[in-house]
Amino acid sequence: MKKDMTKLGMTLMLFASLACASLAVVYAFTKESIDKQSEIQLQASLKELFPQATAFEPIQDLVSPDPNIKFEAAYEVKSDMAPLGLAMKATGPSYGGAATLLVGIDLHRSIAGVRVMALNDTPGLGMNASSPTYYVDKTKKVTFLGQFNEKFLTDPFEVKKDVVAITAATISSRSLTKIIKLAGDAAIAYMDQKAISAPAENGASADAGTDANAQPQAGGK
Amino acid sequence: MKKLYSIFKQGIIFDNPLLMLMIGLCSAIAVTTNVSNGIGMGLAMTFVLLFSEIIISLFRKLIPSMIRIPIFIIVIAAFTTMVDLVMKAYFPDLSKSMGVFIPLIVVNCIIMGRVEAFASKQNLASVIADALGMGLGYTWVLIAIAAVRELLGNGTLAGIQIMPASYQPILFFILPPGGFFVFSLFISLNIWFKKRMEASARNRELVAKKEAA
Repeated sequence: MKKDMTKLGMTLMLFASLACASLAVVYAFTKESIDKQSEIQLQASLKELFPQATAFEPIQDLVSPDPNIKFEAAYEVKSDMAPLGLAMKATGPSYGGAATLLVGIDLHRSIAGVRVMALNDTPGLGMNASSPTYYVDKTKKVTFLGQFNEKFLTDPFEVKKDVVAITAATISSRSLTKIIKLAGDAAIAYMDQKAISAPAENGASADAGTDANAQPQAGGK
Repeated sequence: MKKLYSIFKQGIIFDNPLLMLMIGLCSAIAVTTNVSNGIGMGLAMTFVLLFSEIIISLFRKLIPSMIRIPIFIIVIAAFTTMVDLVMKAYFPDLSKSMGVFIPLIVVNCIIMGRVEAFASKQNLASVIADALGMGLGYTWVLIAIAAVRELLGNGTLAGIQIMPASYQPILFFILPPGGFFVFSLFISLNIWFKKRMEASARNRELVAKKEAA
């Protein structure tokens, strides 16, 4: 009996180690390509958020105040040495597990844009957060993440008040909104601390422009 | 050869894993909101099924029956993880839209069922025929269900707009209840088709008997 068990255990171990070894080979083989894919995706999204940017300088000392939400990376966005804003890669819990978002914050203390880096959710429901053709506002063709564009961090960021939820995916909507708000607040605190701000001459006029655009939208909801 | 063909044929209609054996349904209903997901899931699952069945069939004499289930799981999980990694590396878009359902191939009962009931007892050739038949049977049903759901629920096929812009998509078909609804229609169609085939086979036999008499 005892001998039997040892033999069974050894057999099982043999199969497991063979499977492990072959997995290790495939992992080593695909790792480079997977890393490259996520790097390409990140760079492409950064460029989308800040089309005029020429450099993205990584910031090391930006830590999340919330233990559940982590900042995987943060970048100071620059165009020929002039600051444009910050970009934060933030990961937090959502309905289907961890969700990773890239949040851009410009110098007017508003959201420059949000992109999904990684999201696991129900196809057709929560996954609509990353769909470019799912509109929370059908007449204006605004996507779920699109509604955050030019939104000021002073807004409450509350789902079903100033943020429109994805139909039948309220939990996902709430958690994504929370990640965006936290990343945005942290970025603004960082900007204040390091005194990164818009150059005075074009700051005033641009501010007035975005203000006029953004306010009626926020009030209408 | 004829025997292999009949094994292959079984999986497509008569023993279709989804419509007749009714196993592996959860993933089938979850990913069929979109035709490209259906194709991707079908191929990924066929790959895992094929290679797991091959490995198990090759080693079937070396696997002690007392610990066969853990060994099956190890083999299936290894192939599933490989598919997951390869998809992430070379088809990032597909992998993104399938999300958690690729890792969940591990617990797809079709694979476990076929490995336990078929691959652990048969030789290599029949196992390959069975895996391809079952895989194809699974894939075509996924694509068919996904086509109906995507067309009615979203107005598109594989992401391309088919219905006119004035068409108001019926969200019901994209949601899980719609999945069950379309799925049950396919089951009834398949049973109806099977009965008809059997009836016509019986008729042919009767006619042959009468002629002989």
